[in-house]
Amino acid sequence: MTQKSSIRNYSIAIGLVLIWAFFAIATDNFLSARNLSMLFIELAVTATLALGMFLILLPGQIDLSVGSGVGLIGGIAAVLIFQYHWNASTAMSAGVVVAVALWTLMGALITCHRMPAFVITLGGLLIFKGLFWMVIASETVPVVAGGGDNAMSLLTTFYLPPTLGYVVLAALSLLITIGKIRSRRQRAAYGFDVETAEASFLKVFITCQVLLLAILIMNQFRGVPLAVLVLGVVTCLVHMIASQTPFGRYLYAIGGNREAAVLSGIPVNTVIIGAYALLGGVVAITGFMQTAYSGASTTTIGNLMELDAIAACVIGGTSLAGGRGNVTGVLIGALIMATLLNGMTLMAVSPETKFIARGAVLVLAVWLDVYVSKK
Amino acid sequence: MNDAILEVDGLTKRFGSMLALNNVSFDLRVGEVHALCGENGAGKSTLIKCLSGIWPGSSYEGEIKVNGQLVNFHGIRDTEQVGIAVIYQELALVSEMTVAENIFLGSAPTNAWGCIDWNKLYSDAHQLLLQYGLLLDPMATVADLGIGEQQMIEIVKALAKDTKILLLDEPTAALTETEVEVLLGIIRALRARGVTCVYISHKLDEVFAIADRITVLRDGTSVTTKDTANTSKSEVIQSMVGRKIEDLFPRRSTEPKDVLLKVSSLTVRDDVHDRIVLDHISFEVRAGEVLGIGGLMGAGRTELVMHLFGAFGERISGAVQLKGKSFPPCTPAQAIANGMMLVSEDRKRSGLVLEKEIGFNQSLASLSRLKKGLFIDQLKEANRNWELFKALHIRAQGLETIVGTLSGGNQQKVVLAKALMTDPDVIFLDEPTRGIDVGAKLEVYEQINKLTSAGKAVVLVSSELPELMGMSDRILVLSSGKIGGEFTRAQAQQNLILEAAMAHS
Repeated sequence: MTQKSSIRNYSIAIGLVLIWAFFAIATDNFLSARNLSMLFIELAVTATLALGMFLILLPGQIDLSVGSGVGLIGGIAAVLIFQYHWNASTAMSAGVVVAVALWTLMGALITCHRMPAFVITLGGLLIFKGLFWMVIASETVPVVAGGGDNAMSLLTTFYLPPTLGYVVLAALSLLITIGKIRSRRQRAAYGFDVETAEASFLKVFITCQVLLLAILIMNQFRGVPLAVLVLGVVTCLVHMIASQTPFGRYLYAIGGNREAAVLSGIPVNTVIIGAYALLGGVVAITGFMQTAYSGASTTTIGNLMELDAIAACVIGGTSLAGGRGNVTGVLIGALIMATLLNGMTLMAVSPETKFIARGAVLVLAVWLDVYVSKK
Repeated sequence: MNDAILEVDGLTKRFGSMLALNNVSFDLRVGEVHALCGENGAGKSTLIKCLSGIWPGSSYEGEIKVNGQLVNFHGIRDTEQVGIAVIYQELALVSEMTVAENIFLGSAPTNAWGCIDWNKLYSDAHQLLLQYGLLLDPMATVADLGIGEQQMIEIVKALAKDTKILLLDEPTAALTETEVEVLLGIIRALRARGVTCVYISHKLDEVFAIADRITVLRDGTSVTTKDTANTSKSEVIQSMVGRKIEDLFPRRSTEPKDVLLKVSSLTVRDDVHDRIVLDHISFEVRAGEVLGIGGLMGAGRTELVMHLFGAFGERISGAVQLKGKSFPPCTPAQAIANGMMLVSEDRKRSGLVLEKEIGFNQSLASLSRLKKGLFIDQLKEANRNWELFKALHIRAQGLETIVGTLSGGNQQKVVLAKALMTDPDVIFLDEPTRGIDVGAKLEVYEQINKLTSAGKAVVLVSSELPELMGMSDRILVLSSGKIGGEFTRAQAQQNLILEAAMAHS
């Protein structure tokens, strides 16, 4: 990570702290364990989708159809479960297959004739919305057939027992520490600059403290929600793809300079289609979580979620022109968007004001980005 | 030639702890053409930025005087006011607008209603173009013009603003020899009208053809200022590099071996513009050999190497054999996998991801070979990167320096490193030394020697005849998409090559 992008991450993180401080003062129960636990589940939904969007923004593409897609795929799974009495895991697998197929198709349309992603996915937005309403017949379809729980509803209702939460924390802290030591050693071996031992320790220490705090809060309510665990896994995967694989490098290269990417022998079309396919998978996972969180598939599920996802990426420093961005930024951006919605709901702010406030924060964040990068 | 219209005295500019300009002094006399020479990174661009107000007066030490008066610029508006205009290497024209609209962009004549007076706009533009002997249609769209013509428009645009001092930053980097002649003619006409020009160029031939005085910058310091009549090219090069250069083109020929690339009767159509750009081209390149490709701009040189690399056009007929095997039309990925590699003409547009690190760019084309399972083998990658970083003497802090911050010569070395990392048997170098300084050029030539002595084949496309003749073992000259002539090193002569380049036009 270059210095500029880390300065940027800090300034956005400070913004996040300010927003949290504001809601903590302005409402009675923003910091209550129950509300924070809910906030984490909402974050899991927003952030997962934003991470998928991140993969598609890196090569300079965009996807406006993910909101409709979230509704459609969640709806397909709900209908299979409720009306066709499929097993929830089978229904969700079917949903993933459909999503990956649809997004691969869109990716192929976009790359093969170099059609603008904006237009193709705008078409996707409308088509998926129509298909969605057709699938659920514009009604409300519960995600469980006749009471009880299933794999899909558990996504947002299952909590890890507190002890297991601590085990996860211990494992994570260990992983982070070992990872840091290893990367320091490797960087030294590769002849790169290595930050001071103190700085490394402080980073690991603070990360572990934040994790501990988060898990302590979640354990105060019911434990770590399954959805948060899903987000954790998606985050690790996206981070590894973006920073450790040739595929990830290619995403940055295509966004940074498409022509140079072609002349470097990068199979640009295949890589972009691959990124859309991955996004399809992410849309499916988000669709299950969002539908499960509402308890049933209804026509409004997924409304405007594409804009939240794009906003989270942009607030987190991802360039819409492609080639720039990182996973940490996207997570912080998603947390800001989720916090705003959650906090304003607690304050019983009218929907009109909610839209305006979220829009204003987005504009402010981008202005800050331009301002900071000029300095 | 007497009074100084512009004086720079003791100019020092720091970026952090780095000294970009160190106590630079020079002066411009009214109506002279003053050349600024120096390697990339010597401080020419920084000096221009100080003179054009991009770096405001408070950001440097020292004095700039115009007509004896101390000035403190705060932006381009200020410099325009005292009559300084800059022509940058990258053109700043709106390609969808007409010539006249571009000339008067931001200063279009208006009528009583505050609307643009189109008739006046076009007649003024026509007048202005005629004044400088340019036969251009003011109604033509800029996008339809050649780079050379666009450069002229850029200059006319500056002159429309009553410019007294014209700073030209590498104005001929993208021009053909004929276009350069026209440009030099315009500069001479300007000199006759009393406009003072600062001319920055790497091409010493041009500098000696046009300049009255030459100032050499090295490492941010002004080394010498001399009248052109009292100095020589070798003296200028010596003060630029700081040491004596024995041979500008140190080609060490090696015994050619097997044929690595054989092209027979290749005909290629440009599928975007739907026209034949290469017409029955045949040639072969052997291991250990440098094949130079010459010709005028638009003769099909770039198209030829781009097509062989799989990045351009549709093959109508003809066959390509690579290392003795028939090689069908391919993608760049297949070309690289089979041992071909291209260093493209325009490093910024199609060579580098400018906002990424040196290491990222160097290994970009070789990642499929640096894999361990699904992941990149970072140790192997770092080792390969360091090897090339050191072998090519890239001047930067390390592999994590952002490529966009490097000078042109170092950027070109990164592109070369990327190509070398793929370990090609046949390497196409398309204008590999365009816009880079003497020192970096020599290192590129040294790499060409190393490649051929390692038994690789090099195809060198170049617009600079001395380079083409100095570095090639054989020269193939293209003319309007056909072969205009072929020369061995011994046969090659400037006039013969030019003649061949015009053979089919």
